[in-house]
Amino acid sequence: MIRHQRKKGQDFEHEHRLQLPDGTIKHVHLVAHAMKDGEGQLEYIAALQDVTQRRLSEAALGKVRSELAHLARVASLGALTASIAHEVNQPLAGIITNASTCLRMLGANPPNVEGALETARRTIRDGNRASDVINRLRVLFSKKSITIEDVDINEAAREVIALLLGELQRGAVILHPEFADGLPPVRGDRVQLQQVILNLILNAKEAMSKMNDRPRRMQVSTGLQDGHVYLDVRDNGVGFDPQDAARLFSAFYTTKSSGMGIGLSVSHSIIEKHDGRIWACVNDIGPGATFRFAIPCKGLRDPVDVIEGIREPTREVFNG
Amino acid sequence: MDKPLLVSVVDDDESVREALPDLLKEFGFAVQAFSSAQAFLSSGYPSQTHCLILDVAMPGMSGPELQKELALRHFNIPIIFITALGDAAQCSHLMSQGAVDCLMKPFSEAALLKALSAALPVS
Repeated sequence: MIRHQRKKGQDFEHEHRLQLPDGTIKHVHLVAHAMKDGEGQLEYIAALQDVTQRRLSEAALGKVRSELAHLARVASLGALTASIAHEVNQPLAGIITNASTCLRMLGANPPNVEGALETARRTIRDGNRASDVINRLRVLFSKKSITIEDVDINEAAREVIALLLGELQRGAVILHPEFADGLPPVRGDRVQLQQVILNLILNAKEAMSKMNDRPRRMQVSTGLQDGHVYLDVRDNGVGFDPQDAARLFSAFYTTKSSGMGIGLSVSHSIIEKHDGRIWACVNDIGPGATFRFAIPCKGLRDPVDVIEGIREPTREVFNG
Repeated sequence: MDKPLLVSVVDDDESVREALPDLLKEFGFAVQAFSSAQAFLSSGYPSQTHCLILDVAMPGMSGPELQKELALRHFNIPIIFITALGDAAQCSHLMSQGAVDCLMKPFSEAALLKALSAALPVS
């Protein structure tokens, strides 16, 4: 390798994974500076650094992040229990009622076969409806490896909203979706992005939960700006102190008595891994706050500095 | 033959509005189904309803709000609440407010019959 580099006569930098005779693995980082000595001979000054500990820490950090994301999903699962019970119990009620009717129709003299067929059909339809709810939940809450695909943000948001309808209704929240048409897809993990949308919507609901002097309005809108697809969740709740805008996304910072304060920090790390940005602001007009994330749309990855503050994509964009 | 007693069903869930009336008809009742509290109030049926099967959580006017509104308008209709939220505390509260029964979805045919016979003692 050094021989190969010598031919070029330039500075170089390498990272190696070495297996020592005792079988342990070392990660080493070599930085070399090329220079000519007094006689014009090529000479290298190099530093070899053992970066094993750093590599191991990075791997551990990735694992912890993914555990934390899972934990946050489980925490929101708890918050969603009532909503899930509602969404599943409705079709179950339909199933049991239809099956009871079906038995009665078949047991009558003469049997009402046509009526029974119709109730049996409805039983199947309601069974499928219950199973759809469970499937959506399974996708959202199972701990699985990350899959990168084209994600339609509108579709992803619609699925989350469908799961939350019962919860929002219970909280007397009036939801106004405003989805932009023809948005390009973004590259990413659909479930993780849905987790962020879920967090933002649950937070907005929570911010309005103590408020009784005005209707609780939530607006979820999507759009395209500067090569990024964005999603906004706007509420008219208690808002936050603008001084806290930066701290909102740090782990364990919470203003809620029931929250663990990890929802927004996990959302932040998810969006960062998608080369995107998430931020919050207090509404200019009216009470409440708006949370927004923006992700570069497909094929527009390179101009990463379209939005200020976006970091360079790294090798480990999606670990976990 | 006597005219069948009218049971009204108010529920925003379409599955329930389809399924429950058929079962109630099998029991021998006449049935009207409504998708919202407002639709029921403005229908002219409150005065003819012998028993109201009422969903608790609905957009717009909720079940308990309809219960209060009916009391204000002096409609004394026996109410059986049905709820998919499975909140036992809320159920006992609703019954203390005068509801005949409160059934958690999904409920059995037997539970429904028991509630109906409590609501309509004569039948």
